[in-house]
Amino acid sequence: MINIQQAHKAFKGKPAVQNLTLQVEQGEILGLLGANGAGKSTTINMLLGFLKPDSGTISVLEKDINQSSKELRKHIGYIPENVNLYPYLSGLENLDYFCRLSGLKYTKSELQEFLNICGLPSEDHQQKVAEYSKGMRQKVGIAIAYAKKAKVYLLDEPASGLDPRASNELSVLLKKLASEGATILMASHDIFRVREVCHRIGILRKGELVKELRSEEVSANELEKIYLEYIQN
Amino acid sequence: MYKYMFKQFLRTNTCKLGLFLVLILGVISISIGKQFLKGQERIGSHVTEKQLEHIQRNVELHSEDIGLLLYYLKFAVISEVSPLAALSIGQKDVNPSVQSVSILTLEGQKYDSDLVNPTKLLFGNLDLSFILLYVFPLLIIAFTFSLKSEEEETGTWRLVRIMSKSRLQFLLAKLSVRVILLLLAMCILFVLAGLILSIPFGMAFLAFFVTGLLYILFWFSLSFWIISLKRNSSFNALALLSIWLTLVVLLPATINNFVVTKYPVPEAFTTNIKQRDGYHQKWDTNKRETMEKFYARYPQFESYGYPPEEGFNWLWYYAMQYLGDEESSKESEMMRTKILQREQMSRKWGQFIPSIHTQLAFNDLANTSLSNHMYYLQYLNDFHEQTRLYFYPKIFSNVNGKEVDWSQFTPGYFSLSSKVNFRQIFLPLIILILIFFGLSLLNMRRESRVY
Repeated sequence: MINIQQAHKAFKGKPAVQNLTLQVEQGEILGLLGANGAGKSTTINMLLGFLKPDSGTISVLEKDINQSSKELRKHIGYIPENVNLYPYLSGLENLDYFCRLSGLKYTKSELQEFLNICGLPSEDHQQKVAEYSKGMRQKVGIAIAYAKKAKVYLLDEPASGLDPRASNELSVLLKKLASEGATILMASHDIFRVREVCHRIGILRKGELVKELRSEEVSANELEKIYLEYIQN
Repeated sequence: MYKYMFKQFLRTNTCKLGLFLVLILGVISISIGKQFLKGQERIGSHVTEKQLEHIQRNVELHSEDIGLLLYYLKFAVISEVSPLAALSIGQKDVNPSVQSVSILTLEGQKYDSDLVNPTKLLFGNLDLSFILLYVFPLLIIAFTFSLKSEEEETGTWRLVRIMSKSRLQFLLAKLSVRVILLLLAMCILFVLAGLILSIPFGMAFLAFFVTGLLYILFWFSLSFWIISLKRNSSFNALALLSIWLTLVVLLPATINNFVVTKYPVPEAFTTNIKQRDGYHQKWDTNKRETMEKFYARYPQFESYGYPPEEGFNWLWYYAMQYLGDEESSKESEMMRTKILQREQMSRKWGQFIPSIHTQLAFNDLANTSLSNHMYYLQYLNDFHEQTRLYFYPKIFSNVNGKEVDWSQFTPGYFSLSSKVNFRQIFLPLIILILIFFGLSLLNMRRESRVY
């Protein structure tokens, strides 16, 4: 479902992603771990079609992202690290607005249900987003991606700003989506969350995929050791 | 989607403040127009009343000497003011709507105008055309400069790109929200103007409205083009404000300067000198010579013969007065031609500069343009001649003033009902809208192809 082959991207001559090859199958969650500047966000931006790789091929749902980015975006759900919403609208209105942008029309109770699933309490639904915390905005962002009922989800530090409980709810949600057949690629710093949620884990260093492993093969502590070892090297 | 776009925009302070200001300024401009109309009506009715009194008083005093009576009598010509003039006062604040002239030399009387406080003229008029030409574009800039860049700068653009079916449609929808709100504000102002100023709903009013609408759409298309260049908010704001300054202030001033330099009007001064000399020199010229010139122009009066060289005679006096005008007629005509050339040149340039074109169109529709005043002066010439020719035989045969039917001498009225040339008014604006909108779409499509 997600297939990256020998992708390379550099900014002003400095490589951000080098010879990256990875696949994520349908119903699978792949976690990308890496320090700041390791190339996680660049990879996601290339998958979203926001950046064009200098070389290599990137395909989603068997289609080259460079040639059908517009069409593919219909099937992609995205949660950025910082979800920015319209401050003069409430959380519920933001959700409805973004859904309508995608051509999706939900009833008020359906929208409220999405927000509840994503951990935003009912009493906050009608509050203006200007008064929201980062975590609350993040929950609305998750609800937006969830409501899209996409085939592929790209998550860039999705748990950023979430409290432990909301973070846990997100993990449950992602597993549910994967079990329903969604393909998920998640970039994160959070080793423990990645190990808990993802089926496979990739470690990125200076734009290169230096290690790939299955999460059931390692404990959280072992993963941390491996990660630090690769990062320090 | 539109519901939220409206909600989102209406909740911003820029929108609230902008719409409030434009509506308040619009209402003020309409009330200024109302005052202007009232002033014109007051002058018109005052002149009618006073002219009757003035004639009666002088007839009582000088009926035995009709030459002397006509020396004092003045007859008013009123340029009728259309209610639309309240929306675009144009040249009406510097060019009088009422001229009272005697049958003496006309040229000097043409420029005896109402006293207007020069400070008031300096401030200009805050009429609705000013609001449309100057304030609306500023508001359009304030509403649109960050149409796309604010999404990028506040971080919502990434989600929009992923969620929206088409970025172009999204931006067009956002733009249309602003277009609808500003056009609504404009409609409210026009409805208020129509009701407060009792403007009849005719072709001129419709054309005035559509011209305003097209001018606003031109600014939206221009703003959309700047937005399509994909720069940040500060660049967009700076570029649009610079364009506003250029189109609304700099270019009109430059073209005015160019036109004035290209068509200087020294005749404005020489006409008066010629007319005064033409008349004054006749005091030292043989009466016969003066009369011969007069009879050459008006042979129908030749039967009144030649007055004796010695002493005063009204026949000779009025012939002298007429010759003052005749000897300055060439300069007067040249001045008229040059003023019209200035106007034509401004119109030519105006086709490419929407602010000038729209202002000229507003003035034309409201009958407050310079050319309208030139037609009025032409009408004044004809009126003066007709009045002279009516009184000449009475003066030359010294009819008693009481035998004249003075009731017919109510003020003359000048009104110009020209056909609205929709194509000439609308086409330049429509072409510019299509050009900028087309360029914007090209830029947007190019951008969507390259991510």
